[in-house]
Amino acid sequence: MKHRITLSIGPATFRIGSAWPDPIRELKHLYADYPAPADDFADFTVRLEPAGALRRWLRPSIFITGDHGLADAAPMSLPHGLLAAEMGMNLQMALGWRRHLLLHASSVEKNGRVLVMTGESGSGKSTLAAQLGERGWRLMGDEFALLDLATGVVLPFPRLVSLKNRAIGVMAAEVPAERMGPLMAGTAKGDIRHMVPRAEAVARMDEGASPALLLFPRFGHAPDIRSVGHGETFMRLTQASTNYVALGEPGFTALTRFVKTVPAKAIDFPSGNEAIAMVERLWEQRA
Amino acid sequence: MVLLYHRPSGQTHMVISPVPEILAALKDSAPASAQILYERLSRLYDLGPADTALAEIEGHLVNMTALGLIRTAA
Amino acid sequence: MNALPLVCALREPGTVAAFGAEQWNMLIAMARAERLIGTLAVRIGDMPVPEAVRFVLADARLDAEREARQALWEADRAAVALKPLGLRVVLLKGTAYAAARLKAGEGRFIGDLDILVPRNAMAEVEKYLMAAGWEWVKADPYDDAYYRQWMHELPPMIHQERDRMIDVHHTILPLTARQTPDAGAMIADAISVTGGLYVLSPEDRICHAVAHLLADGDLAGGLRNLWDIYCLLGEVDAGALETRAGRHGLSRHVRQARRLADALYGEGRRRLTPWDRIVIARLLARDGWGRETRKGLRFAFYLRSHWLRMPPMMLARHLFTKWRKGHRPV
Repeated sequence: MKHRITLSIGPATFRIGSAWPDPIRELKHLYADYPAPADDFADFTVRLEPAGALRRWLRPSIFITGDHGLADAAPMSLPHGLLAAEMGMNLQMALGWRRHLLLHASSVEKNGRVLVMTGESGSGKSTLAAQLGERGWRLMGDEFALLDLATGVVLPFPRLVSLKNRAIGVMAAEVPAERMGPLMAGTAKGDIRHMVPRAEAVARMDEGASPALLLFPRFGHAPDIRSVGHGETFMRLTQASTNYVALGEPGFTALTRFVKTVPAKAIDFPSGNEAIAMVERLWEQRA
Repeated sequence: MVLLYHRPSGQTHMVISPVPEILAALKDSAPASAQILYERLSRLYDLGPADTALAEIEGHLVNMTALGLIRTAA
Repeated sequence: MNALPLVCALREPGTVAAFGAEQWNMLIAMARAERLIGTLAVRIGDMPVPEAVRFVLADARLDAEREARQALWEADRAAVALKPLGLRVVLLKGTAYAAARLKAGEGRFIGDLDILVPRNAMAEVEKYLMAAGWEWVKADPYDDAYYRQWMHELPPMIHQERDRMIDVHHTILPLTARQTPDAGAMIADAISVTGGLYVLSPEDRICHAVAHLLADGDLAGGLRNLWDIYCLLGEVDAGALETRAGRHGLSRHVRQARRLADALYGEGRRRLTPWDRIVIARLLARDGWGRETRKGLRFAFYLRSHWLRMPPMMLARHLFTKWRKGHRPV
């Protein structure tokens, strides 16, 4: 493919090929301070292809594919090429990663212990993690938390943070402009901008730590905290994991260990600031 | 509540008593009728009136067969 | 750029010893696209490879093992569901290779469950499967009627809870194809494996794989099907195979399959016909990014697959109906 880049994020390396130069150029720019991959060998291949014979030039339309793909994936417009590349990497991890249990969760680290937050789109887990990352916590990831199958340690996967709609304004006010990617308006999920994690988070992307607290956040509700039992936690985490079934028995062992050793709470909050305060309080209490 | 990983199918099941106890009572893999299981279990647990307990065990065996956890001996 | 590096690596795993990073990238991408990465991992075995590559190959082997376990479970569930009918449930393709522990099954990625049952039992089979939790996949009445009337299988079914597909065949080629294999003989001579399940005899296995590769279909996944055939050929007597192929009207195809398997995966000593070379070109139409290449050739084979399956008038009507519904060939 005409344009390409190789990226290493946490334990995974991606070879990304594109029929157009722009998405690759944007990736190069935003991932510039990431450690260079050891060599060109990649765990996964992502391809940004024209979605039809003429779609390379005429109203360019990107079909996201690679080693793993979804035949019915909706094509994306060229201005959203960066988003397409990020989605392509997500797809490879979600469908193909086997070396850790993948949880659809954000994670942040403080004093050698990890806070894992899981929930659906719009739950606030990504924004909360990004905000904590600017307040003395180390951001480990906003999309996937990687759980080591043998040791139960959580490993970082610090990709560009995907901020949607209201969260864009919140973070743009807090971080320098060079850490913010281009605005992509009118995507299927609204407006999106990417944010580069802090330099320290990127530099320490090979350092995992053991989990201490699991939260199920819910943005936009009256404040509330409740403990979540083992059974419910286990069930919600299997739903939040893209590779639990594929891992077989080691996945079962790792997830039951996690559920038995990590306390879980559901938190509701009306605003980001309340959420941050709740999290800091809960973290103090567990010490 | 007990979590079971069923190796042949790769499926995970959440089950409650007396399913784990029935599985334990079938441990030696020899075919056993509901009656035999009732006798084994009543030695370890208080199961209440015999006929109700037996009917319940039979009901559980049907469900467990449908899930693939056990099968009827030929 | 075509899939020759993949073929060479399967034939002679030693060829990867000198590979650089980019060669590995291309090999892995091709192998994944052709669903041969598990097989490649088994062939490479314990040969020294770069550490990052070893992780990828180890993952592939685990995936293949898990798929085999799940496939055998599906087969077990089908056997349990159909037990009251007392008929032979004959496993086909990947599930059969796993159940019979054949070389063709090592590292193989298995898709749906394919079984062969007598044609006159189809209605009962359908009934018992549905009672056990399988339901229809295709809701389109045209496709449904087409399957029942002309194809060699029930429309695909999927299990409600386990979300796995089953394909029930009553013969190995569509009723409208030019060859008429003897399905009754295949079932009668099937071999028992565990749990009330059967697989085809060694000769019939090859005839089925060959029919599937060369007499039905557009050669998608052809490199993998041909590898299956190559492995199966190693375990059968040539004379017995020739006789059986004749019985099924598949002599020409089996001979061609032998030539192709030998050319790609074997010693490469047999003479190839011009048609063989075109088929090989289609089989190798994959590049180092995992993309399908040679679109014109692929489209020609796609048309051919329909032509093989039905008489010309029917083909025209079928393609017209599909086109009107918005289906387009790739």
